Amino acid sequence: MTSPATARVVASIALLTAILLPAMPSHAGTTTGPHGEQAVPAASLTLTPEEEAQIRAGKHTAALAWHTPSDYTAAVDRGAHDEFARLGIEVVAVTDAGFDAAKQKSDVETIMAKRPSILLSLPVDPDTAPEVYKPALEAGTKVAFVDNAPTGFVQGTDYVTIVSDDLFQMGEKAADAMANAIGGKGEIGYLFHDANFYVTNQRDGAFKATIEAKYPDIKIVAEQGLADPAHAEEIIHAFMTKHPDLAAVYVTWAEPAEFVLAALRNGGNSETKIVTLDLSEPLALDMVQGGNVAAIVADEAYAIGATLARAAAASLLDKTLEPFYAVNALAVTKDTIKEGWFQSLHRDPPATLTGG
Amino acid sequence: MSSDTEGPATTPPVLSLRGIRKLFGGVVALADFSLDLHAGEIVALVGDNGAGKSTLVKIISGVYPPSAGQMLIDGQDTRFADPSQAQASGIQVVFQDLALAERQPVYMNLFLGREAVTGPWRRLDRRRMIRESEALIQGLDIRIPSARATIRELSGGQRQGVAIARATHFAAKLVLMDEPTAALGVAETMKVESIIRSLRERHLAVLLISHSLDQVFRLADRICVLRRGVQVDVRPTSRTSSNEIVAMITGVA
Amino acid sequence: MAGRLASQLSAVRAVDPSRYVVYVGFVLILVGFSIALKDDGFLTVRNLLNIVQQTTPITVMAIGMVFVLTAGEIDLSIGSIVAISALLAAMVLRQYGWPLGAAAGLAAGVAIGAINGGLVAYLRLPSFLVTLATMGLLAGVARWLTDLQSVPITNDLFNALFGAGKLFGVPSLVLWTLATVALGHFVFQETRYGAHVHAIGDSAPSARAVGIKVDRVRFSVMALSGLCAGLAGILYAGRLHGARYTLGETDLLTVIAAVIVGGTRLNGGIGSVMGALIGSLLMGLLNNGLILMGLSVSEQLMVRGLIILAAITLTLRETAR
Repeated sequence: MTSPATARVVASIALLTAILLPAMPSHAGTTTGPHGEQAVPAASLTLTPEEEAQIRAGKHTAALAWHTPSDYTAAVDRGAHDEFARLGIEVVAVTDAGFDAAKQKSDVETIMAKRPSILLSLPVDPDTAPEVYKPALEAGTKVAFVDNAPTGFVQGTDYVTIVSDDLFQMGEKAADAMANAIGGKGEIGYLFHDANFYVTNQRDGAFKATIEAKYPDIKIVAEQGLADPAHAEEIIHAFMTKHPDLAAVYVTWAEPAEFVLAALRNGGNSETKIVTLDLSEPLALDMVQGGNVAAIVADEAYAIGATLARAAAASLLDKTLEPFYAVNALAVTKDTIKEGWFQSLHRDPPATLTGG
Repeated sequence: MSSDTEGPATTPPVLSLRGIRKLFGGVVALADFSLDLHAGEIVALVGDNGAGKSTLVKIISGVYPPSAGQMLIDGQDTRFADPSQAQASGIQVVFQDLALAERQPVYMNLFLGREAVTGPWRRLDRRRMIRESEALIQGLDIRIPSARATIRELSGGQRQGVAIARATHFAAKLVLMDEPTAALGVAETMKVESIIRSLRERHLAVLLISHSLDQVFRLADRICVLRRGVQVDVRPTSRTSSNEIVAMITGVA
Repeated sequence: MAGRLASQLSAVRAVDPSRYVVYVGFVLILVGFSIALKDDGFLTVRNLLNIVQQTTPITVMAIGMVFVLTAGEIDLSIGSIVAISALLAAMVLRQYGWPLGAAAGLAAGVAIGAINGGLVAYLRLPSFLVTLATMGLLAGVARWLTDLQSVPITNDLFNALFGAGKLFGVPSLVLWTLATVALGHFVFQETRYGAHVHAIGDSAPSARAVGIKVDRVRFSVMALSGLCAGLAGILYAGRLHGARYTLGETDLLTVIAAVIVGGTRLNGGIGSVMGALIGSLLMGLLNNGLILMGLSVSEQLMVRGLIILAAITLTLRETAR
């Protein structure tokens, strides 16, 4: 199963490399947007009943232009659809660019034939995206983005807002979940993503910073970056050889964590705990069965879609909006699997995980 | 008809092969082959499988260069670098596999490699090719639904007719025929044989490869026998017999 | 009188009906969408011009593919050539101006096509394997060229010429489609070269036996396909005002589907440039209409797949007669 952010990891390769540096200081303790914007909690964006009635009366339409199919996109898409339905806005077109910037441009051009009031999108490539969204701007359509905005676009005039995850919070919750799993003390391993990539970099940095600041009795004794998930197996072997009593290991995202789990299992190790990010069925199954996996931190992808839809609708009333909203993260454990899965993806977990 | 061993001495032979050899690696495919072919003469080339007949056809048509020996066209020493040079010298081949493009129409096959063009843009002159094809087909009395029909719509005999029509149309001097009736029924064979006879009337030289000795005796002026790459003999048809030829082919006297 | 009728009938029979399946299908789908989407902006000049412009790079690549497939070869590397051509054009353009930028993109396409062609024609390697390998190799090169960075193009003339510009009110991409299809059709149908392309794909030994330079034709179709992909890359760059390593990555199957639906055979000897144009427009028409119908992404994929499958089935059934 593809974990939500794995797809995004790939997705944003271009998105990130260009814009990252200003976003890096996030290690200091908060999530920032692609242009260094301060993150505002998504929950703070609300509409009054009067505003909602006004929007409903407007008989608006919306279109969604996604970047690639994934669990994450599907959850964002569901969130947007549900929120639009609640606000009486009809979704008239949905497209998927399959990571192809040229296809995304064609998609937006096609969509504009229906003249929607709102366009929600995740740009495949911020650098070439200005051309992609130009027809929408020219038509006066309100455009709101997930994760990133086209290079040079100005919030408030060219687009409504950006909604994304609270990446710092994800790393922080991973640290808390790990501390909880090992009783607040012990030696741990830290397997981070060794690439210039803003999603994973912020999450990894937040994990490490939180452990160092908040849990003095937890020591990171083994630390290694990885670029290719398949190498996670070799790295965990090296960790365990040097530190056989490792209490837990942090793995940067679900796919390498699956390799780590396999390596630990094959080595007969049922003691070392794993904490990772992004929901994955094999990892969750191990967690449910009381195996190595202690917690999986997830983002509220569904809430991203709902917040984005709400923000775009609010912009129709010329309501002032923050430039960057971030949704909450949650740590899913054995006991919260059902609620956690639903909160993140707005879908019931696979039957294998609930004993169904 | 020139039924003598040598043709009229006044004009040089259309094709004169002198001491042609062909080696593949160390293997001798053809050893010291010599033959004169005159205009208006049909010479049959007979021999068992692997005797070197196809090798000889490929040397004459420019597919292979000979390893040694001399080739004269109208008395001029000649070497072909590729098949198109042989064609330019007036030599045409009807290959055993016919060398037709099955999904193309009859007229394109007739003009394959020599397409007619017109105008400053050198557009294909399809109209002219179709017109000439139809005239050609009628002249040879081959029944084909249309010059626009594709080859795969035709019967084996009709395909043979197209291949022969192409060779005879473009041959200025010599037509090589490799088993032209092998795949045909009786009636179609008779038709092809009459076409071959008509080539003699058009004063072309014909080198005919055939496994059918009856056919060879019906058509050829002379018979050349090959056995394992060696030229056994060349006999005028009128001075030999089927038994003698068979003996030469098999090497059993 | 009767004889004349018979000859006319036989001429009709000689026409390959598979060539017309795509035209009929195209018209049916166009009419279908026009009725179903009559209030959804489908049948507006702007939307229809959009479809032509969106499919221009596909059409240009499809023209090259018609030559390659008809000659009995295949070129899997076109998608990767697109990315390299677009990136090179964008990079060269920054320093040396747009004419050299465009020339660099085209030259890259021809050069890669020539390498493919050299391996296929002179080393006698199967084009499927050669271009499978170059496809992967070039995808790596495209990523390495700019270290995954996009390269924006700010030259207005380049962007107008190869992208959103207009000449006498006609969008330049529409003109590119018309020009390349007209030229491609002429060379394919009306020249000796086109006839030789047909012949070698039909039967290379026969073509060789009648004196056609088979190797040279093979080499040239691969180079031509590279040129077409290079032009497609420049057209993408002009359209997006920039280049990116993923450009063209997903186009190969769309191009092959467009060409096959247009009546070109995968195994050589039969092809149609006009059919490829219609096939390509059909792909664009489906993308456009299915989005405007408000279908979900999964539904779009399923319906498009089914329609393409039906079109290919009809086309191939007719040719298999």
